[in-house]
Amino acid sequence: MAQPAFPVEDVLSFAMDLGKSMIRCGAEISRVEETVVRICRAYGMQQTDVFSIVSVIVATTRDPSGKETTQSRRIYSYATNFMQLEKLNALSRRVCADPADPATAREELDKINSDPVRLHPTACIGYILGASAFTVFFGGSWKDALAAAPIAVILWLIGSLVKVHGMSKLFVTALSSATAGFLALGFVRLGLADNASMIMIGDIMLIIPGLMLIHSVREMLCGDLMSGLLRLLESLILALAIACGFAIPILIFG
Amino acid sequence: MELKQALILILAGAAGTCGFSLLFRLRKKLIPCAVIGAVLTLVVYVICLRFLHHAFFQNLFPALFGALYAEIAAKVTKSPATQYLACAIIPLVPGGGLYYTMYHFVTGDMASFHTQLTQTARTAAGLAVGIILISVLVHQWRYRSLKTIFEEE
Repeated sequence: MAQPAFPVEDVLSFAMDLGKSMIRCGAEISRVEETVVRICRAYGMQQTDVFSIVSVIVATTRDPSGKETTQSRRIYSYATNFMQLEKLNALSRRVCADPADPATAREELDKINSDPVRLHPTACIGYILGASAFTVFFGGSWKDALAAAPIAVILWLIGSLVKVHGMSKLFVTALSSATAGFLALGFVRLGLADNASMIMIGDIMLIIPGLMLIHSVREMLCGDLMSGLLRLLESLILALAIACGFAIPILIFG
Repeated sequence: MELKQALILILAGAAGTCGFSLLFRLRKKLIPCAVIGAVLTLVVYVICLRFLHHAFFQNLFPALFGALYAEIAAKVTKSPATQYLACAIIPLVPGGGLYYTMYHFVTGDMASFHTQLTQTARTAAGLAVGIILISVLVHQWRYRSLKTIFEEE
């Protein structure tokens, strides 16, 4: 029996870590499963079976000598980061076209993963622009849009702090929406803005898992039922946390 | 809907997409292309709002358009379609609907909760179905090759 060029454990380990990084950047599950299979095949593995949901990847692969290896990875958090996702895709394509030593490929992967964290100062501008624009989009006035901007900065700060201290996503979401609610009502009370609910909707566009909801339905219709269900549940729970957070200032100041 | 309102909707949507593309850490070179996609999708959305009366169809056609645009833009700029798709869809995402649904649930207004829930579910379904139709049509060859990859011995 032919021996593969590289140990099956190393190949699978690299493929799994690449898949994990992709999920952490917000890739679809089908893309992740495809990537793991393609990489294993590129290294000459005979058969690869992979199952993935948003929090776990499990894969078994068999090398030409018939030796089987199973590995799993656990994913704890994910956020959309297209720049990194694009780099990971490029790396995967490069490795599939020319299967280099897994150790070298892993160095490249580590380099991509060591890129600066997600909450970059440009993201702050994104928060302000997104919140103000969507305040107007949902029917707010220009004053409301101006009021939404400082709230967006505070949401960005809360988000940054979480990345450092690793607090529960659910708690932080509720905290963010409660803070935004208090500030929005405060601005209206001070006469600096016209409509608190428009400011709130503009600002919650930043934290509401709307895109996650669409992705979940999409994954379920594509056949990734488990992953889609988990995403659907998560987006509903996050929306509930946001509603609870906003309920506090509304019930107090109504 | 008046023309002025429609223009405000489209401009605000474009600015918002610009903000979200920064949030999603989209490569700077790709941002103009993504924002143009969002604007065109919003134009389709405004037209659908005017002539269609069911949330599912109001969102299905813009989603079809946005997904098609994303695939074309991806081919032209040689980068994944997902990024353009997310940016084109962002203004249509039922963030407000999801929020109101949960808000009425928390405050115990069950009639409004039910209305909002139906509306949000229809919107999400319309967007998702639109996206999938395009990806199935465009990637037929890709799904076929995927199947052979997974099942080949």
